[in-house]
Amino acid sequence: MLKVLRLFLTVALLVTVTGCGDQRILERLGFIQTTSYDLAPRKENESEQKLMISVTIPRPDSGSGSGSGSGSGSGTGGVNREFLTAISSTSKESRIILSRQTELQLVSGQLRNTLFGLSLAKQGIWKHIDTLVRDPSISPRVKITVVNGNAHDLLTKNYPFHPRTGQYIDRMLEKESLSQIVPKTSLYQFTKDYFDDGIDPIAPIIKEVGDSVKIDGIALFRKDRYIMRIDPKQSIIFALMRADITQGEISVDLSGENRNNEHVTLSSLVSHRSVKVTPRKGNFHVDINIKVSGSVLEYIGVLDLEKNKDRSTIEKLVSQYIRTDAEQLIANMQQNRIDSLGLGKNIRSTLSYAKWHKMNWPDTYRNIDVQCHVKVQIKDYGMFTK
Amino acid sequence: MKEKLHPFHISVLVFMIQAGVVVFFLPRMLAQYMGYNGWVAIPLFSVVATFNIFLISIVYRLGDGRSIFQIMEQSLSKLIVYPVYTYLIVVWTLLGCIAAKQYIILFQVFVFPTTPIMYIKLLVDIIAFSLIIKGIYNISKAATVFFWMVIWTILMLTFFIKGFEWVNLTPFFFKESTNVVVGSISIFSSFLGYELVLLLFPYVDSKKGFMKAVYFGNFLTTIVYLSISFVCFGFYSFKQLTKMKFPLVDLLAYIRLPFVERVENIFLALYLVTSLMSITMYIWAATETAKSLIPRANKRWITAILVCCAFVVSWIPNMLSEVELWLKYLGYMALGIAFGLPLMLIAILVIHNGGKKIA
Repeated sequence: MLKVLRLFLTVALLVTVTGCGDQRILERLGFIQTTSYDLAPRKENESEQKLMISVTIPRPDSGSGSGSGSGSGSGTGGVNREFLTAISSTSKESRIILSRQTELQLVSGQLRNTLFGLSLAKQGIWKHIDTLVRDPSISPRVKITVVNGNAHDLLTKNYPFHPRTGQYIDRMLEKESLSQIVPKTSLYQFTKDYFDDGIDPIAPIIKEVGDSVKIDGIALFRKDRYIMRIDPKQSIIFALMRADITQGEISVDLSGENRNNEHVTLSSLVSHRSVKVTPRKGNFHVDINIKVSGSVLEYIGVLDLEKNKDRSTIEKLVSQYIRTDAEQLIANMQQNRIDSLGLGKNIRSTLSYAKWHKMNWPDTYRNIDVQCHVKVQIKDYGMFTK
Repeated sequence: MKEKLHPFHISVLVFMIQAGVVVFFLPRMLAQYMGYNGWVAIPLFSVVATFNIFLISIVYRLGDGRSIFQIMEQSLSKLIVYPVYTYLIVVWTLLGCIAAKQYIILFQVFVFPTTPIMYIKLLVDIIAFSLIIKGIYNISKAATVFFWMVIWTILMLTFFIKGFEWVNLTPFFFKESTNVVVGSISIFSSFLGYELVLLLFPYVDSKKGFMKAVYFGNFLTTIVYLSISFVCFGFYSFKQLTKMKFPLVDLLAYIRLPFVERVENIFLALYLVTSLMSITMYIWAATETAKSLIPRANKRWITAILVCCAFVVSWIPNMLSEVELWLKYLGYMALGIAFGLPLMLIAILVIHNGGKKIA
């Protein structure tokens, strides 16, 4: 009797377990790769500000050139993408509208990047990020990027040398973040900084330039609102102030240091940053110590890299250059009351709970005295002498 | 003579009963209820659990290895004993089935969003049933295999060394704590499970360090809980942690290996075994109690009936919040048993032994 029961159970299990309920057939799925968020142009007699949400879905299976009505883009090399747009009040509502435009089942498991148009970023993006972090199928590593202009326009365009726009942007950001030109801002990082009272979030900012997309610097937020932008030329200096780096390049024009037509480029930068906080009569004095070492692969000027003395002169000049720029950046951020460097975290570590909460950090931040101390070291100067 | 449980197997068994679905949200509970640097509270809870185990060890010593049912039945009238048994059966069975339901809801949300919950629950219950009818030795052997399947994943925490920031820990301790009493009970219930060793007395070898093994099992749980919570507090910002429903799932989702990412689904499936062991052991405990209540009954049938009851009852709470509420109250009851039962047994033994010298 028991054997019969066992046999019955085994067969029942085999039959039921293998007939999966939650089917995911690859060919029938539309893996959203990039999503863009913009404010939709406001129509008359519309009280609510709507959103324009677009997604790109790679479609390697469809033939080149054929496109659906909503704007499918064709690319070179036989890879296509589907491009869908919807106007709605919320981002999840738009998913339902987008879904009506395609035969594929839209899934977000392969989402890599989210683009926010500048006008939307200025209004605050937390409520859109909130939906992303709530969705269990979305990875915490999804990138957050601000577009200087309209995100939809940038994403809809096909760039002749880059078959799939979404992937092109994603890979470019990935690569540039390695050399510290843009920060690695993921959902995890943004949420972490958004909820921390001692730091403000940052994100890379990109821009459409003719036939390509260009990194346009770093977007600085106050809470979730875009406030200001750091120029890509200064990105590396910002990176040096924010964290330790293990890779990067800096090109220095020494004319600011009274040496006309002299240029030096330091590569393979490795830096260490430490922050020291000293309380001073109701205010704080913050010292940011940055130690950088790198190799000089390009120097145009009158000094001789072979000579110890000249090398130390270059080190001093570069240090001076970084310091001036760094302090300028900090003054800018202080003026806008955004603590993108997370100095608040360091100050919080020196205070008691009551003192920290009694103090209004954004106001205090504006008046703290910050000094940068930069020490540059030239590790080597290449494999050829003058 | 029957085979006895080896101390190592006992340690593993204790760990596997303790660690369950709770580990997925323990860091958030610590942040919510204990406030800043809530992870520091873990060793304190562990000390309370250790004290509880100490009470159990007194019962074991005074009782000379007799089972707790023998101890109770020899001194108390059946009128008192039977309601106690019934209470134990009900609480343990419910705890087993509702804890399972909680894990399955979680699993379903992440892995099979549209598969019916009770269908997955049925499959888990069938495995639990097959384990229980094989007896405690086989359960402990299965627990050991499952233990090696999951314990290595703790090494995954090294992945977060890079993102860990000491400055996130802040110098504040237990500030912004809320509902400390209710919270403490909820957090402490994540340590529960060791009380089931009360039922293991007849199955262990008294000469070997039985109680030491239980202490070690609890210590292992403490270490695992502590390391996970500590990493969460350093990797996430405090306010963020209080808002994350399942911090451990997020932590796992962040891992990216050169050949694979989004591994949390694989791990979630892997952690099924820790929950499975908790379910199995609670229903096993209920079965043991039921056997003392009705000594002539067939063990298989008792198990089958209990598992079926558990399955039917777990149909009732449907939403995650309902399940959490049920678990909260069941946790209180289990906590009452964890402390109340050993204390009652000690009282019985002291009165019964009378003037006899305590060894």
